[in-house]
Amino acid sequence: MPSYECDTRFIAAHHQPAVLIDLALSRGQDSHKLLRGTGLFYEDITCGGAQVSPAQFFTLIANARRLLDADDSSFLFGQRLLPGHYGEASHALSHACNLLQALERLQRLRSLLSPLLTPRLLFDEHQAHLYWLDCCGAGEQWPFLAEAGVTSVVAMSRQLAGKRLPWRFHFDFAQPRHIEQYWVHLGEALTFDSQMTMMSLPYSCLHEAWPHASATAGHVAEQNSLAGLAWRSSFIDELYDYLHVHIREPLNLERVAQAFGLSPATLKRKLQKHGTHFQAELDRVRKHVALYLYQTRGFTNEEVAAYLRFNDTANFRRSFKRWTGVVPSGLRQLFQ
Amino acid sequence: MKSLLKLHTLTLLGLALAANVGLQLLLAVGTVKSWGEIDWMDVVGEGGCAALALAWLIMLLHSRPAGRVTRLLALGLACICFSWWMDLLDEFIQIPAGIAWDNWLETAPMPAGLLLLTFGIYHLNQEQRAISQQMSKREKHFREHRLFDKLTPLGAAEYLRQQVQRALSQAREDEQPLSLVAVDLDDFAAINQRYGPAEGDAVLQAVAQLLLLNLRRHDLLCRLAGDRFVALLPNTGERQAQTIAGELEAAVASLAHRTSRHGERLHLHATSSALMAVDENADELLQALNLRLAGAKQTLPRCA
Repeated sequence: MPSYECDTRFIAAHHQPAVLIDLALSRGQDSHKLLRGTGLFYEDITCGGAQVSPAQFFTLIANARRLLDADDSSFLFGQRLLPGHYGEASHALSHACNLLQALERLQRLRSLLSPLLTPRLLFDEHQAHLYWLDCCGAGEQWPFLAEAGVTSVVAMSRQLAGKRLPWRFHFDFAQPRHIEQYWVHLGEALTFDSQMTMMSLPYSCLHEAWPHASATAGHVAEQNSLAGLAWRSSFIDELYDYLHVHIREPLNLERVAQAFGLSPATLKRKLQKHGTHFQAELDRVRKHVALYLYQTRGFTNEEVAAYLRFNDTANFRRSFKRWTGVVPSGLRQLFQ
Repeated sequence: MKSLLKLHTLTLLGLALAANVGLQLLLAVGTVKSWGEIDWMDVVGEGGCAALALAWLIMLLHSRPAGRVTRLLALGLACICFSWWMDLLDEFIQIPAGIAWDNWLETAPMPAGLLLLTFGIYHLNQEQRAISQQMSKREKHFREHRLFDKLTPLGAAEYLRQQVQRALSQAREDEQPLSLVAVDLDDFAAINQRYGPAEGDAVLQAVAQLLLLNLRRHDLLCRLAGDRFVALLPNTGERQAQTIAGELEAAVASLAHRTSRHGERLHLHATSSALMAVDENADELLQALNLRLAGAKQTLPRCA
């Protein structure tokens, strides 16, 4: 299955972009101003056939943020995103038997349900963690997307479980001025300036049965939407997966380009298009692996350094500082 | 722009007509100057003044509802604009020496316009007092339209923060207690889901008005975020604040809000918390208030 890039037009404009458009229209904004610079017309979107690229979606988000000029835009947008009205994919979420199944479906159908940022599920002994990665080069729209993504899962799980779940949150940016929006829409368990944008809750919440689930309908909806899926994930996502699997092997631009069947120059250009470069992507994966080993497996400095094939610990500590801004001993607990 | 033309047709048409008549009159008696005779410094200066006066007039008409004060201000500005326009025209048209009315057309509208404008500003002042009276409980001593909430006619969180800071220092100075009350609707997400976000917005607007009615004259109500409102209560101790919080809860519970589509009665409930300031700053105080509210929500059978 091919992977999408920031200029691939594959997001149905009447799905998630329309959620944002409707929000802005309901606040009295003008559809022409909202769509300025996106190359889209409101009439095309209402006809149902229009498709937009992640880059166009980013322009739409930037316009909406500027026009709405309110701190709650991302949260209101997020609240309306999931399970949403995106045909079979939304059915697969609405009829999930429990949170775990819903999150797994969210991951598998992410090109439909969360095309701009990738949710990834991670477990340790007691907890489940859902962390969010930028997969299309969001740039300055990242905090908006992170707020919306996190809120979408909180709102969906509250709606389908019929109660508020004890989520705790980490954000990889500084505490914004509009902290009250976080209190009201997410809760009080918030950590900012963290290493990742991540939400966690006790493992037991994952398996609690949801009241309105329909196992068979949900299963069929998932199968149907998987069968009709044209894109599974973004190019940045595929690269992340590849690096994650091969992290213990010597990796460089040429070798990875070869594995993807690209010339090194093409890979470089593709990454540049998404506002990133090879070393940054490699460092991101190494940082995530190191954090995981430290915090859930309890590895020592030497063990992590050895796992990531560093020759000496001092060198590793220097690199770790470069990835995270702190030395390993200064790391705050992320997973507890 | 359409509504601007429709509301103020007479003013704008009148100005355009007067400007045209002035031009025709000058052309009838005078002769057009050659390029060399024109003093471009004067053209830029006087033309710029006329253009600015026109811009003020349009901005004024655009931002204000029609009415007596608007009419006075608009007439004043129109006179000033006309006077500068005539001033500009004689840079291009040579008037024969014997004609005096041209000078009258240039100078007379200016003092008339300034008088009208002064009269208008005096009434604007009166009007502002009346509006401030209406804004009581929603605004205190300080206005910043960028801090208005976008949905309800209340101040938003940043406005609240500034007002809390101001009230804290005032309370310290007067050695008076200061309390805050937070009110949060229960299960508001369910209203949005069941009746749509537009109905949710209508509920928030109704609740904002309801809470205002239940507050005292010197209190201030702001919308913190989402379905959470905060009232700032000067000269109020914690016990009295708790009483007020209970009253606000009761008011929300007895509100008979009906949906706009089917007129269905919604049964609303709210949770509240009250807190007296001790020696925190505004941010800490708001955080403590929210923590207390979160604690109160925990005890609900099903919270939202």
